[in-house]
Amino acid sequence: MLQLTGVVAGYGGGAVLQGVDLLCEDGTITCVVGPNGAGKSTVLRVVSGLLTPSEGTVMMGHIKLSGQSAAAILRAGVTQVPQSQALFPHMSVRENVLMGGFLIRRDKKLLMSRLEQVQQLVPLVADRGAQHGGNLSGGQRRMVEIARCLMLDPKVLLLDEPSLGLDPRSLTAVAELIHRLHDDGVTVLLVEQNVRLGLGLATHGVVMEGGKVRLTGSAIEVMNHPEIASLYLGGTNATTARAAQAAAEPTPNPAEATG
Amino acid sequence: MTELLQAVILGLLIGGVYALMASGLTLVFGVMNIINVAQGAFLIFVAMVTWWLWKHTGIDPILASVITTPMMFGLGWVLYRTVIVRIRGSSPSMSVLLTFGLALTIEGILNITAGNKFKSATPSYFEESFRVGDISLPKSQVYGFLAAMLVLAVLYVVLTRTWMGRAIRASSQNPSGAALVGVGATSTAALAFALGASTSGVGGSILSVLYPFFPASHYDWISRLLGIIVLGGMGSLPGALVGALVLGLAETLTATYGSLRWATLVFYVVILAVLLFRPQGLFGTRLREDVAV
Repeated sequence: MLQLTGVVAGYGGGAVLQGVDLLCEDGTITCVVGPNGAGKSTVLRVVSGLLTPSEGTVMMGHIKLSGQSAAAILRAGVTQVPQSQALFPHMSVRENVLMGGFLIRRDKKLLMSRLEQVQQLVPLVADRGAQHGGNLSGGQRRMVEIARCLMLDPKVLLLDEPSLGLDPRSLTAVAELIHRLHDDGVTVLLVEQNVRLGLGLATHGVVMEGGKVRLTGSAIEVMNHPEIASLYLGGTNATTARAAQAAAEPTPNPAEATG
Repeated sequence: MTELLQAVILGLLIGGVYALMASGLTLVFGVMNIINVAQGAFLIFVAMVTWWLWKHTGIDPILASVITTPMMFGLGWVLYRTVIVRIRGSSPSMSVLLTFGLALTIEGILNITAGNKFKSATPSYFEESFRVGDISLPKSQVYGFLAAMLVLAVLYVVLTRTWMGRAIRASSQNPSGAALVGVGATSTAALAFALGASTSGVGGSILSVLYPFFPASHYDWISRLLGIIVLGGMGSLPGALVGALVLGLAETLTATYGSLRWATLVFYVVILAVLLFRPQGLFGTRLREDVAV
């Protein structure tokens, strides 16, 4: 269970997160949605230790994550795929994925067995093993970024805008992978601008605005909540709700696509 | 024919030494985007220390690298932690300013402590040669070349086969990506800078035998080394090796069939010609730029 309580955090120019309370039960997929500047990505950076909160706590079960180094949080089983390019462009795909096991590098047997597992889950890692990470397409890069995170057999996987810049086919592949991880019991916390896509993937939804959590519930409850329309389109009536749905329509719903 | 063969072999021998000297520069640029203009001053500093050790203890100058290499590793580490770390994340031009200041400081210290006179270590084999048929190979150049190749091979293995090397390369290519897999950015950068400085430990010791030097000689050396890594591809170790061999060959061939005075010009013409067709240098890699993710 991942729990944020009263988290306040920022980058020096004022707090981006202003008292965030969030709960992700084990084995769930929680999607955080909200307009630009809501603090969605900042939540992930706080959980992964890339940003230290000035107030509040982040707990994973009985382990306190807040205040620990990024490496310590990785060791605790929390890995993150960031929004922007995270691969090592001049390293081969295989080396990129191996780097995901940097913290277990001294246990060579474990490292190689993890690599084997990851290659089975994401065949691209073996298929394109010798290719430079920087020469992959956007979708392939995202798959390798996720594969790299799996080298530590994470309990919690943080995904920042997994759909960003991906074509529908790549999107479906990424969505399938997320569902497989969910089936394997990994707790997923993801941030998405694409509301319909994100909540379609998730079991639970969280709506953020202005650095605070505005709404939580099951993904379906959140998706159908009229406040979603008000947050994205500035209105609360049924017309704007329908408009919001129409705006999100062109993007396929991977949950449907994957059956 | 013998003359040509002699020139080519000597060019390759000296090119190998240049490669070692340039490797530290290209490594530090590749890892941290830092153009370490002080690398030439490091070489002269080490040459001066080597000369002093040889003069006062009689130790072989090339073997003295056993002392100067760890010394430069330590100095590089301390310099990174105290000075270079302050410009982390800044543009490469800032690193040029900072390391140029460092070079001037080293030059000043050497001027005061060692004097502004040419020096050269001349061990017993200084004027001896190996003879292979009609070809004469100066022992000092052969020993220097062998030492340089050994260190380059070790460096290559460290960077490609060890986790320290992978961490260094990962940090160089994507610092935030490296942090996400648990690589400590500052400690890795300090190691890389120290490793780069340590190559001047061997390079400077070899230099003390092969070339006369004085404190301001670092200007000549840094311009040569920068030329080599631009030709080879900034940040590429194989590129530094090839660029250095080209410089070595350009020097010996021009000196044999023309005049040594034209050697540098020939080298820079080669750089110009290569960059016209390969702006990234001989071994610089161009990656996809069409992916926005």
